[in-house]
Amino acid sequence: MVPPLTLEYAGRSMTSPPALPSASAPGARGELLASARLFVEVARLALRRQLAYRAAAFAGLVTNLFFGLLRSSVLLALLAGQDSAYGLGARDLVTYTALTQGLIVYLSLFGWWDLMQNVYRGDVATDLMRPMSFYGFWLAQDAGRALAGLLMRGLPLVLAYALFFPIVTPTSPTGWAAFLVSLLLAGLLSFAYRFLVNLAAFWSPDARGIGRFAFTIVGLLSGFLMPLAFLPGWLREAAGFTPFPHMVGTVVDVWLGKLQGAALARALCEQAAWTVALVLLGRWLLGRARRRLEIGGG
Amino acid sequence: MLAHLGLYRRLVLAQVRSQLRYRASFVMDVLAVMVTSGAEFAAVGLVFASFDRVGGWRLGEVAFLYGLVELSFGLMDLVFGGFDPDFMGAAVRRGELDKLLLRPAPLALQVFGSEFQLRRLGKVLVGTLIFALAVSLAGIDWTPAKVLYLPLVVLGMIMFFGGLFVIGGTITFWTVESVQAMNVLTYGGLTLMSYPMTVYTASLRRLFTYVVPAAFLNYYPALYFLGRPDPFGLPGFAPFLAPLVGAFTLAAAFVFWRFGLRHYGSTGT
Amino acid sequence: MIEVEHLSKHFTLRAPTGGGGALRSFLSRERRVVRAVDDLSFRVGAGEIVGYLGPNGAGKSTTIKMLTGLLVPTSGDLRVDGVVPWRARRTYVARIGAVFGQRTTLWWDLPVIESLELLGHVYRVPPGRLRSNLREFGELLGLGEFLHTPVRALSLGQRMRADLCAALLHDPHLLFLDEPTIGLDVVAKERIREFVRRVNRERGTTVLLTTHDLADVQKLCRRVMIIDHGRLLYDGDLGALQDRFGGERRLVVDLAEAADVEVEGARVVERDGPRVTLAFRREDVSASDLIRRVTERHAVRDLSVLEPDIEGTVREIYEKNLLGA
Repeated sequence: MVPPLTLEYAGRSMTSPPALPSASAPGARGELLASARLFVEVARLALRRQLAYRAAAFAGLVTNLFFGLLRSSVLLALLAGQDSAYGLGARDLVTYTALTQGLIVYLSLFGWWDLMQNVYRGDVATDLMRPMSFYGFWLAQDAGRALAGLLMRGLPLVLAYALFFPIVTPTSPTGWAAFLVSLLLAGLLSFAYRFLVNLAAFWSPDARGIGRFAFTIVGLLSGFLMPLAFLPGWLREAAGFTPFPHMVGTVVDVWLGKLQGAALARALCEQAAWTVALVLLGRWLLGRARRRLEIGGG
Repeated sequence: MLAHLGLYRRLVLAQVRSQLRYRASFVMDVLAVMVTSGAEFAAVGLVFASFDRVGGWRLGEVAFLYGLVELSFGLMDLVFGGFDPDFMGAAVRRGELDKLLLRPAPLALQVFGSEFQLRRLGKVLVGTLIFALAVSLAGIDWTPAKVLYLPLVVLGMIMFFGGLFVIGGTITFWTVESVQAMNVLTYGGLTLMSYPMTVYTASLRRLFTYVVPAAFLNYYPALYFLGRPDPFGLPGFAPFLAPLVGAFTLAAAFVFWRFGLRHYGSTGT
Repeated sequence: MIEVEHLSKHFTLRAPTGGGGALRSFLSRERRVVRAVDDLSFRVGAGEIVGYLGPNGAGKSTTIKMLTGLLVPTSGDLRVDGVVPWRARRTYVARIGAVFGQRTTLWWDLPVIESLELLGHVYRVPPGRLRSNLREFGELLGLGEFLHTPVRALSLGQRMRADLCAALLHDPHLLFLDEPTIGLDVVAKERIREFVRRVNRERGTTVLLTTHDLADVQKLCRRVMIIDHGRLLYDGDLGALQDRFGGERRLVVDLAEAADVEVEGARVVERDGPRVTLAFRREDVSASDLIRRVTERHAVRDLSVLEPDIEGTVREIYEKNLLGA
C-alpha cells in the first residue's frame, strides 16, 4: 500500500515560463547547440525549483524509509529462514527495497499529472508557442524534476540504507556504468510513458481516471510493488511483452548484478528499444493532439 | 442530539447528491480507487503462488488481516474525510473553517458532514472482497461470540484511524508542514496492520504494540478469529482490546481537537 | 447594538531567521508582537449602516473576526446586543449574517435552492418563515432565473446575490458585508446596494460594511470608521470626512505639446512630457470649470478626472497625521 501523500512532492508543475537564453547562433550546428542550451536551461530551472522544497523532501524521505522498512520486513518474511528464493537472497531483497523506494520520485511512480493539468487549465496553448519543441520542453522540465528527485530522495535513501543495513552494490566499473545507463533509460522510458498517458487529456475531459489506471499498472508490472521474480510465471511472461519491467525491474537487476554479459546487453537494448518506441509514439500522438487543438480551437 | 443527527444526515445527503450529479466521472473515480486498492493486494496475493507462507501465515490468513483493515480504513475515510489532514489543511488555508464557525451548529458535526466522498466505498468494497476471500480460504470456526465481536473490531479500527485523522487535522491549526509526519502514522499504520506481527523485527513489533497500540486492533483480534496461538505470550484478553484502544484514541483525539480550537480562536491562522 | 471598548488583538509571531525551514523558525526564540487591533472603541446603534474602512492590513479583518466571534481579543470589551460573541458562539452566530465577497457560503456543486434550504435547516429557520423569506429575497434579488443552477455555474454577480439571500434567511439583526461588490459590473453593484438599502430600511437590519469601493460607501453609509495600523483614525460623518481630507481630486491632461499649465484653483503635482497632472479641491473649483479653463488656454488631446479613493484618503490622513492621533 502506498500513501497518496507523496504525490504532491512527486510532480510539482512548473507553470511560469523560464527565462530563455537568447539563441541567435545561425546554422544547423548553431541551432542544435542553441536547443541543447535551452534544454539545459529549462532543466536547470526545474531542478532549482524542486530543490527549494527541502523540508518537504526531508519529510518524504522519512516516509520512504519507513515504508521501506515495512516492505523489506514482508519480503524477508517470505524467505522464512531460507538463504534465497527465486534467485534473490536477503541482502538482495533489502537492496531491492532501498532501490525501489529510492526510485519513487525519480520515476514519479505514484503518478504524474503536470501535462494534464496544463491542458485542463488551458495553459497548453502558450506552451505550444514556445520557441522550442513542446516535447523537448516537457522532457527538459521532467529531467530537472527527476534529477532533483534523485538528489534529494533517491541518493540519500540508498545511502541511509547502506549505513544501517547490509546492501549489495555493483562491484565493477562496468557494473556501475551499466546501472547508470539503465537508470537513465528508465527515466526516459518512464517520462515517455507518462507523457503518453497525459496526452489523453487532449481527447477526454476525464483523463484523470485513465491516468489512475495507467499508473497503477506500472506499480504491479514494473516490479515496484513486488519483485517480478516472485510473481507467477504467466504474469511475468505477460509483463515481458510490455515496457513496464524496464522501468524498475531491469534497473534493480542491473544494480544487483543479476544480469551479466549477453543477458545484460540484451536487457539494455530492449530497454532502449522500448524507450525509442514510446518517444516516437508520444511525438506522433502529440502531432495529432496539436492538430485537434487547432481545428477545435482549444 | 436527534436534531444534530438529522442535520448530519442532510449534510451528507447533500454531498452524495452533488457527487452523483456527474455520474460518469463518479463511476470512473470508484473504479480507479478499486483498481489501485485491488492491485496492491494482487501484488501480495500473487506472491502466494510462489510462497506458502508469510511469517508463518497462509494466504487466507493474511487476507483476513489485509481485508479487515482495508475495509475499516475505507469506512473511516468515508466518515472522517473532513478531518483528513490534507483536506483540513486546505480548508483552514482557504478560510472554510471560518465559514463553518459562522454557522450555529457544532463544528465537529459540520466537519463530519463536509467531505463525505462516496467513491471511498471502492476501497471498502475491495476490502470486503478480500475479507470474503479470507473467510472462504481460512476455514474459520465461527461461534456466536466471534460473529458479535467482528463488527466491534471494525468499529475499533474506524475509531483508531479516525482519531489519527482528527489529531492530524488539528495539527493543521498550527502548521501544515508537519502533516506528513502524521500521514506516516496513518498510512504506515494501515500497511503495518495488513501483515502479521511475526513479520516484523522485535523492536518494530514492540513499538507498535506498546507505544502505538496498533497490534491490538487487527493482529490480536485476528489470532482469536483464526484460532491461532499468540507467539508473544500476551495475556488472554489481548484480542479483545481493539474497541477500547479505538475508543481511547478517538476520545484523546477530540480532547486535542478542543485544545486546538481554543488555539485557533486566539490566533486564527 | 455593538459596543466596543478598548479592544485590542495582538499576535505573537516567531520571526523567521533567514532561509530556515519550519523547524528553524519554530526553534527561533526571536518573537515579534503585531498589534493588529490596538485600543479600539466605538458603538454602533441598531439600524445603522456603517462603513468600516482602511487599507489592506489595517486591522479590518481582525476586527470583523472578533465581531463575528471567530477570534478572541487580547484585551478589551466587546458586546453585541449584550452578548460576548466568542463566549456563546452558536447562539451568537444564529443572530448574525455575513457575506464575504471573496468566497461563498453555498455548496459548490448543489443547485442554489438546495443550498438555501440546507442553510435553513442549519439555522433552524421555521419552514413558513423560510418560505416567505425565500419568496421575498428571491424576488428582490432576481434569483428565480438561476435557482436551479449549481453554484459552480453562476456568474460572480449571481453568486453574490445568492450569498446575500443566504446570509439573511434567518432574519439576522446584524449583517457583516465584506467586499460585497468586488469584481462586479456597475449594474450588478447597484442592484446589490439597492437591496442592502432596502433590507436596512424595511427590516431595520444593522449593517457593517467593509469595502475598497468608495461608491459603496457613498451610496450606503452615512457614517464611516477608518482604521489603520489597528487604530481608529476617524469615526463620523462621511460628508465631513470628504470635505476635510478627501478633497483633492486630480485632473490628468494630455497636451498636444508640452507647455506650462497654470490655472486658477488647481496646482500642478506631476509633469511627464506632455502629460500634466493637476490637483484641485471640490470647494475651490468644479471639474467642468477646471476643464474649461484648461481647454481655453491649451490644445488638449485627452483628459481624465480621478476621484480620491479610500486608500489614498486614508493614507493621506495617516501620513500627514491629520487627526492628531
